[in-house]
Amino acid sequence: MKYQFIFPVFLFIPLLILQTTVIPLFAVYNAVPDLILILLVFYAISYGQIFGTVLGFGFGFLFDLITGSLLGSAMLSKTMSGFIAGYFANENKRDIYLRSYIFSLIVFLCAVVDSIVYSFFSSAELQRNFLLLFFEQGLLPGLYTSVISVIVFIFLPSRRLA
Amino acid sequence: MFRFFSRAWEEYKEYIILVLLLIISLVTLSLNQKPGVKKVRAIAFGTFASVTSVISDVINTAKYQSENERLREVNAELMLQVNRLREYGILNEELKGLVGLKDTFSYPLIPATIVSKSFTKSQSTITLNVGESNGVKPGMPVINDQGLVGIVHSISEDFAIARTLKNIDLKLTVKDERSRVDGIMKWNGQDLVIVDVPKTYDVEPGDRIITSELSSIVPLPVPIGVVVGLSKVETGIFNEVKVKPFVDFVRVENVFVLGVIQSKQKKDLELNFYRQD
Repeated sequence: MKYQFIFPVFLFIPLLILQTTVIPLFAVYNAVPDLILILLVFYAISYGQIFGTVLGFGFGFLFDLITGSLLGSAMLSKTMSGFIAGYFANENKRDIYLRSYIFSLIVFLCAVVDSIVYSFFSSAELQRNFLLLFFEQGLLPGLYTSVISVIVFIFLPSRRLA
Repeated sequence: MFRFFSRAWEEYKEYIILVLLLIISLVTLSLNQKPGVKKVRAIAFGTFASVTSVISDVINTAKYQSENERLREVNAELMLQVNRLREYGILNEELKGLVGLKDTFSYPLIPATIVSKSFTKSQSTITLNVGESNGVKPGMPVINDQGLVGIVHSISEDFAIARTLKNIDLKLTVKDERSRVDGIMKWNGQDLVIVDVPKTYDVEPGDRIITSELSSIVPLPVPIGVVVGLSKVETGIFNEVKVKPFVDFVRVENVFVLGVIQSKQKKDLELNFYRQD
């Protein structure tokens, strides 16, 4: 399993560069798609729940460390997202999940959880209506991320990345 | 006993790992202010920022042409303003001389380019291509031609991370330029708001908001935004004033770090004053 971590970690670096340089230019109402999460969901479905959980933890740690956000907030949210995405790691249905709109739905679910947990732990002072917070900090970035994730199952090569 | 744990591990290892990692994350959350952690972060973002600075240079080059045209226009307008201000400056010097005031308005500007941005609803930060070697220190304000962008939060040798105004951890003392009413401004996750403004205070939509001289973070007037509305608080004696920032945080690329930090002398003096009570 330890060699399986190498490739996603190598992919993480260019994606994080993209996430912090190009992606902010496409912000819609301050919501930006989370490319790291798409990568995490892809690998969690491919390699299972434990892999997804640990990978989410690692991605979150690096994200917090590099972007200057509160250390631990993305670690928490990405760990939970990796765990949730890992639920869909079924040997028989893996290809169906990765090559159809279901992938976007899983990304949407994970992105909503990720955004809500991240904003909850990184902004304890928010005094907003919960439903409003759920929509603006959960649904909107989640929806944007899931729309972008369509690219993955459209352009996924027949021989998956290993 | 061992068999029990072994069986529990086999059956619930996913959950055990999840709980363990969540506990580590929660513990890490409480370690954010430790100097060791800050140092590691400074090294990490410094290394990463040196890579992103190359990418952002490439992206920015494409935009420089249109940016240059806009700047030429701004330059012409500023030239006219400078002429007028020069006249005021001369008059000001004379008046200051008459009343014996010292001129305190001289701060170095350190030009910087944003090499990466991290946008979340509550914690937006930007990484600048200037750091300790350029004289940047934590606490220095980051501005552009439109107004205040944020405050430098942490630095490495060649890079700095600044919290933008859209960061809930950044609170500023601001004032209404017209009515001179002071207040505390913060980002609430949705809007920039000046909180706990008494309903009797004279604040109206359209008023310009600038940093207050009372601020220990930005002790000189820098434009922030314009009042767009007052929230309707039915009960109580306070209003919440909604402010639209002048700076477009999505598009901002080139900024200046204002070489001014909180005066230690002033802070110590104020603390001593409170200690006497």
